[in-house]
Amino acid sequence: MTSRIAALDGGTYYHHRTLYEPRYRDFFDGVIYTRELGETVLEDYDTLIVSCRTDPSVLRPHREKFRQFLESGRTLVIMGSTGPAEWISGIEWHFTPTNFWWWKEGGSLGLHVTAPDHPLFDHITLADATWHHHGHLIVPEGAVSLIDVGDLGSVLYDDTVTTPGRMIVTTLDPMYHHGSHFMPATTRFLDGFLPWLKGMTPS
Amino acid sequence: MIFPSPALSPGTGFYALFLQETAMGLCLFINPIKGAGDDLPDVGDHAPNIAQIDHYDLSDIDLSPYAALMLPAHLDQRFFGTLTTKIEGFLARGGTLVFNGHVAWPMLPEFETFVPLESQSLENLIIHRLADHPVFEGVDTQHLTFRRGVAGFYARGYNPPPKGAIALHGVGPDRLPCDWVYHRPEGGRILMHAGNDLWMYAGSKDSTARIVPQLCLWAGGNGDEDHEQGGAS
Repeated sequence: MTSRIAALDGGTYYHHRTLYEPRYRDFFDGVIYTRELGETVLEDYDTLIVSCRTDPSVLRPHREKFRQFLESGRTLVIMGSTGPAEWISGIEWHFTPTNFWWWKEGGSLGLHVTAPDHPLFDHITLADATWHHHGHLIVPEGAVSLIDVGDLGSVLYDDTVTTPGRMIVTTLDPMYHHGSHFMPATTRFLDGFLPWLKGMTPS
Repeated sequence: MIFPSPALSPGTGFYALFLQETAMGLCLFINPIKGAGDDLPDVGDHAPNIAQIDHYDLSDIDLSPYAALMLPAHLDQRFFGTLTTKIEGFLARGGTLVFNGHVAWPMLPEFETFVPLESQSLENLIIHRLADHPVFEGVDTQHLTFRRGVAGFYARGYNPPPKGAIALHGVGPDRLPCDWVYHRPEGGRILMHAGNDLWMYAGSKDSTARIVPQLCLWAGGNGDEDHEQGGAS
């Protein structure tokens, strides 16, 4: 049995490409326009993806809806640049200046895998998660960071302890870049990340 | 000239005196969605004669004080598509619309869905000038093609232009029209850029720094005047 996934559509061109074009369309059992989230029933879904760069001002009124979704044991995926601290409890996000040019300057983003046995890494490599990021997260006690940036914190963690549900939180923004036909790593990330989400056993 | 209410959060450098002296129209910049991150420059630091509002306030604002509407690539196009009547009215009164990004949803009759490049080879990413235009005067196409030596920031495809539009820049050997300007028979102008916000170049260190002030000067001008040169596409 596979997980039934819904994803939020912020109406941008990059969400459109990611959510509606054939490459990933079949992974999504529902696509919810963010401005219609209030009237959308989430009961049919096991997993809800808050797509990267979704406007937090549209998400703020739905704090209770997200909380209940997690209380009922489901999985919430929170992608980068969505301001989650504004609409969900327990997320500690720190902004970092974006280094767009590390790959030209002979440097490194400083990302490293911290849980190599995690099943996500059966689907992606560290290189598939390496483009840039806009911040880092402090991992809640008992949650598992999958990728850290230096010794600052996490850019992707898996939290099955804070709520009865599961939160997968990242500062990465793969939909924006895939949807912009920009940065092949972001497409490879989604090529692995979405099948991993789909293959989760519903609770 | 009717000046906007201070409640509309005009740009930090809003100079009423400058506007009166030059009879310039005011450009209204739509701030991108908040989730777009903090890595975008504040256009107000580089173009004093502008006003800015938050994305979703566009549905309530009276557009009559403004000469131009400047849309960010991080636009909720589904939302913007609910405002078609309002935007067509704004254009019919001689307004200028500047659109950045890839067209994904039907918003105006002049818009067609983005066509991506089939291959993103270097040759296909080179920007060619097809017609001179005040917005790009003195801007070296090499600086549009390469940013810090990397190609592909400017355009990776095109939004197909309506018949009668003037193609300004073409991408790749087929000169696919990634920038065009269209004078609507019903009034108003549309400047289309199929890429990241043109104001991304605000304060840049090369000739692309000319784009923002020239864009604001052109967009704030009288939309009924024909400033463009060059042949039809």
